[in-house]
Order: sequence, then structure tokens, then C-alpha cells
Amino acid sequence: MNADDPPPLTDDEAVGRSLAGDLTAYEALVTRYTAIAHRTAFLLGAGDEAEDVVQEAFVKAYRHLRSFRRDSAFRPWLLRIVANETHNATRSRGRRADLSVRLEAVRDGGGPEDPQDTAVAGDRSARLLAAVRALPDREREAVVCRYFLQLSEAETAEVLDCPIGSVKSRTHRGLRRLREEVDRELL
Amino acid sequence: MNSSDDPFEAELRALGESLHVPPPPEAMADRVLTALREPAPKRRLTAKRLVAAVAAVLVVLVAATPQGRAAVAGVLRFAGVEIEVGGSAPLPSGSPSPLPSETSAALADARAAVAFPLVVPAALGEPDEVTVADGGQVVSMYWDGVRLDQYDGTLREVWHKELGEPFPQQTWLGTTSGVWIPQQHGIEYLPGTGGPPVSLRLAGPTLIWQLGRVGLRLEGVPTLQEAGRIAESVR
Repeated sequence: MNADDPPPLTDDEAVGRSLAGDLTAYEALVTRYTAIAHRTAFLLGAGDEAEDVVQEAFVKAYRHLRSFRRDSAFRPWLLRIVANETHNATRSRGRRADLSVRLEAVRDGGGPEDPQDTAVAGDRSARLLAAVRALPDREREAVVCRYFLQLSEAETAEVLDCPIGSVKSRTHRGLRRLREEVDRELL
Repeated sequence: MNSSDDPFEAELRALGESLHVPPPPEAMADRVLTALREPAPKRRLTAKRLVAAVAAVLVVLVAATPQGRAAVAGVLRFAGVEIEVGGSAPLPSGSPSPLPSETSAALADARAAVAFPLVVPAALGEPDEVTVADGGQVVSMYWDGVRLDQYDGTLREVWHKELGEPFPQQTWLGTTSGVWIPQQHGIEYLPGTGGPPVSLRLAGPTLIWQLGRVGLRLEGVPTLQEAGRIAESVR
């Protein structure tokens, strides 16, 4: 940290300056939120269009910045635009949004492990991921937001544009289905 | 927020962290700023966007045409709505009238009864009531205090409104243009068979836009932000 560096802008300061036409301030917001926006687009099913989705979302966010309520948080507002753009992209290519992720290659634990344990754990993860992938759209989106993106219930509600009650019920139904699916396959 | 001790939820979070997600794009800020500095948004020109663009140009052209009555008076024609601006028309009083031959219908029956595709805003959920009016010219959906009218917005003018200030405001719903009328105003329906306009009621704030050939007017949502959110959620 260089003591001469100015303190980073808060989101609200950056939004305020962006509204006044300062693109440098908006650049700070883009830099700050590119990673989470990209992860969100990818995990909600944008696949190899995730980069374009994120770019379009940032452009739209800037053009709609006046409709952003300054007393609320910028991140979930942005992610809602990302989610909408992801829907648009998947709808226009005419197929279901797919969770096109794969597991990381089994990570090095840093020490000798029982290879059989590792294999079993990897197998269970793969089954769980397959079960998430097979969830109905709404439940999958809620589960992805809550656990894979680790958003709060309130943030998830804003991102998915639905009431908090719906987030709770979709998550609940999704979890129940996942448990059943994973337990069933263990038998 | 994630204070749950449930081991299954913890397992899902750990799974999320172990997922292989491509690295975030580099130089996103440059890409975004370049796109923002372009004079006109660069979009693939689909037929739908072309229609929207033409409609927006028409609004501007027609609005700029002097109508003789007053320097600022004009007629906006947009998405099946004819808006006469400039005069401060007297607001209608008395009890509201329904649309001609307006009858309740199940959503599925309404879909079958009209010649254009119907949408429902996900933000509002299933409507409390659906009606079909004027021999399938208009479908109205009702929620508490909010209504959404859908009609063929390409053939003819379906609604007539007279407005004083504040003038209707052009807005963008994603890439679709819309018109926002913030104040209460009188609304008339222009029957599909011709004939005199039917004075309906005092309408609340209204957002008007077009999806393909379908014109939509969302009435009763007090702010543009909320109306836009609902409009963008139609499926």
C-alpha cells in the first residue's frame, strides 16, 4: 500500500461521479465487480457467452444508472442485470440455461491422503453437481445464488427479481430434492 | 448471512468453491468504456429492434410537428396509443366504464381467444383476473391496483389520451423503447369496428411499450422504476 494512493471510492461515490459523467469512476466499479459478475453469468448458464453478457450488463447498468436507488446496494442491482442478460442470451440461442461447469481436478491436499477417500469424496461431489444441474430452473437458480455465489437471501431475491419468500421456498425445495437425489444414489 | 450450520449447506458451499469457472475476462473495463464511448449503441439489428427504432423516430418526428393548436401541441403515436399533448384536457369524472363487451376468462382461454401472443410479468405473478374485450381486441390482466392491457399494437390506434404537462417521457426497457406517463389522465378506447371513442375512466400512471407486434400498457404502478422492473419481467 502506497500512502500517497487516494482512498478507493466507495460504491456510492463512484455511482455519484458516474452519474455526473465521470467514466473513470465507472471504470472503478467495472473493475471491482467484473469477477463476481462473470462468475454469476457463468454459473447461471451463460456458458461461453459469459464475457459478452458481462460487458453488455455493465453497459446497460451505466445507461440505466439513473434508475438505481442510491440508498440500496450496487452489487445485487448489477447482478440482477447480469442475470437478465444471461436469460436473454440463453433464450436467444433457444436452449435451456445449462450449468456448464465441471469440477476442478482433484486438488492437492498438501499431504498424503487415502486415495480411496479422495475418490469417494470426488464421486459424491460429482453426483451433487449433477443433481444441482438437473434441478428445475427456479430452484437451480436459487441454489446457485445462495450456495455457489454465496449471496444472502435478500441479495438473491433482488438478483432473481422475486420476493424473499420465493427464495426461501425455492431453496428449500431445491435442497430437499438434492438430499433425496444424493442419498438415493448412495444406496 | 451464511451462518447456517447445516452440513449439507456447507457441503454445497464447498462444492461451489471447487467448481472450475473460467478466469474473469481481462480488460473488461476497457471493453465497457469503449462500448460506452461509441456514439450509438452497437446492436445487432433485428426486425424487432428495427420496429422499435422506427417507432421511436416516429414519436420524435410527430412530436416535433406543429399541430396548429399550440406551439408545443402534438400527437404521439406509439405502440397503438395516440397521445395528444399540449392541451390541459379536463379529467373525466364519474364512474369508470368497462371496455366494450369485456368478459372474464381463464388465462389459457384468453390466449386461445386472441390473435397475438400474451405475456405475464413474472414480477407480479399470475393475475387475479383476466378479461377479453371487444371480440378479442384487448386482453386485460388485473392485480391489486395494477392492470396490464395487451393488444395488437401494429394495426391501428387502440387508445386515445390527452395530456397536459408533465409531458410523456421516453424511456428504455433494456433495448426496447417505451413511453412513461407519470400523472393521472383520461383514457378513451377506440373500438376495433370503428365508431366513436369510448370514454373509460381516469387512468393512473402508465407505462406503454411494444413487444413484437403486441402493444402493452401497464397502469397503476406509481414509479417508472417499479413499472420498468415489472415490464422487464414479462415472460
